[in-house]
Amino acid sequence: MGDDRILNAGSGGGVSGFSGGVGNGEKGINGANGGSAGTLAEGRRRGLGFYVRIYRKILVQDLKSKMSYRADFIISTIGMIMTNLAGFLTFMILFGRFPSINGWDYHHMLFLYAFSLIALTPVQCFFDNNWNLRFMVQSGDFIKYCFRPVNVFFYFMSEVFDVKGLGQLAFGVGTLIYAWNKIGLGVSVVIILKLIVYLMTASLFMIAIMNAAAATCFWIQGSGYVMVIMFRFKDFAKYPASIFSSVFKFVFTFIIPIAFIAYYPSLVLLQPDSVPLLSWLSPLIGLLFFWLSYKFWMLGVRKYDFTGS
Amino acid sequence: MSSNETMTQGRKRRTNNRLWALTRAGIMESLQFRLGTFVTLFANLIYLVLVYYLWKAIYDSAGTDVVNGMSFNDTMIYLILATALFNFLEMFVVWDMSRAIQSGKIILDLLKPMKYRRYTFWSYSGAHVMQFILSFVPTFIVVMIVTGGAIHIGLNMIWFMISVIFALLVNFNIEMIVATICLYTESTWGINIVKETIVLLLSGASIPLAFFPDSLARIVKYLPFRAVYDTPLSILLQKNGSDEWLGLFSLWGQQIIWIVILSVAGTLFWNHSVKKITVNGG
Repeated sequence: MGDDRILNAGSGGGVSGFSGGVGNGEKGINGANGGSAGTLAEGRRRGLGFYVRIYRKILVQDLKSKMSYRADFIISTIGMIMTNLAGFLTFMILFGRFPSINGWDYHHMLFLYAFSLIALTPVQCFFDNNWNLRFMVQSGDFIKYCFRPVNVFFYFMSEVFDVKGLGQLAFGVGTLIYAWNKIGLGVSVVIILKLIVYLMTASLFMIAIMNAAAATCFWIQGSGYVMVIMFRFKDFAKYPASIFSSVFKFVFTFIIPIAFIAYYPSLVLLQPDSVPLLSWLSPLIGLLFFWLSYKFWMLGVRKYDFTGS
Repeated sequence: MSSNETMTQGRKRRTNNRLWALTRAGIMESLQFRLGTFVTLFANLIYLVLVYYLWKAIYDSAGTDVVNGMSFNDTMIYLILATALFNFLEMFVVWDMSRAIQSGKIILDLLKPMKYRRYTFWSYSGAHVMQFILSFVPTFIVVMIVTGGAIHIGLNMIWFMISVIFALLVNFNIEMIVATICLYTESTWGINIVKETIVLLLSGASIPLAFFPDSLARIVKYLPFRAVYDTPLSILLQKNGSDEWLGLFSLWGQQIIWIVILSVAGTLFWNHSVKKITVNGG
């Protein structure tokens, strides 16, 4: 894709794509160009502000290159909308035949569904490059990420921002508002804050799953299947975890944590009187899962370095 | 025996050898990814667990044992085998072709002394054979044991297999048409996701067609997608009148009609499009 154009490792043409925007005074970019020891050492001390700035620059380049493939952009967006519509249609067909599932009525299920859609947006928008990881690793192109004085994981993920995810977000927000009204949850500052915190929590879990699935490509050949299957698991995030027997409830809570993508976090909002402990703890568990998946991913990068390809 | 005849025979044998070589290459390639196959099998099992609990909860809440002529067992067999069929039938024609166009490799494929459609089909056959043995057969046996004889064992198995081969051909033709569209759009992901979404929903792979509301079911009836999953599975489960000769032949007939329509349309479309192909480098 066009992304290669922006960030050709080391080659002058590629780097100028964003060094022009950043300005030559910026240390990080100089480091990327020259790779002198002094700028590298400074790289260790970089804060959040630096990363935000870099992310914005790369994002703009990515969007520009996406817009140059206009037909692809439009068709992909239509495709994304179609998947969401099909998902919704599946949901409607199911509830046309069966009025409730495990004591959850239509509107509560709709709430879970919308919640999961919104929670899945960050992984779609910000971490979509995971899907390219195995091609990069196989072809050897991945090595370019290891030569930059920025965090490899950050740099790799920042390269692609997937705009299509925003359609899903809009779809999810609309559905959530509808279900919210029908259930009669009411609006207050506290509840909105809770919603935001727990949506972010939920998205951490999906990001963690996809990171770990993508990182398997450092060890397994043909690991595309792992990602495809993990991505299919997420379709079950919109159902209450109470449908599982205890063994599988454990599996889908702690091993493949899809129960955290919608069920546990949304219980905080849906059953404020009897929130299980796991729901309260989910932000912490989410951070833990994300950290673990990050470590796993970076372990793969280290292993990749050692093969010397 | 005239020399002419031996020549024809020789050519025939050569063609068969060629096709077998493609199949064998596919088998070898799939065997390369043994660990991947193992992981896939395991992940598929987990996926089936999810399907099982979801539908168990749905049937428990429904209050009746049989919904729209489908018992819980029927639904489970249908969905599990649909998943197994999905893995077995999955082709990456769209992805491979677009990559071949981007890299220019497609020129070499077009120059091969074999029609491109035919070449593509046979290159995939090896992967299909391996998927069938490694994924479909084990799943089928597990389903048979778990459901304890809910699948009627008899001639319907053979009719099912015949129908699966038809389904394979319908699926291949759909893939080829979609891949040809990609020649024009330069968009692979988008086209592919649209195809996958439509096929999975309207073929009954995600929800059995029996549960569809009547209006939607009527539309689906006239589309080719059900010939991929719903038709073989109905034959296996002896639904939709397939336990009688007339019903069976009409289901097969529908599949064959779709194969003919789609392959004629696909060939014409491909022959028209291949002239416009633009390859940069290669």
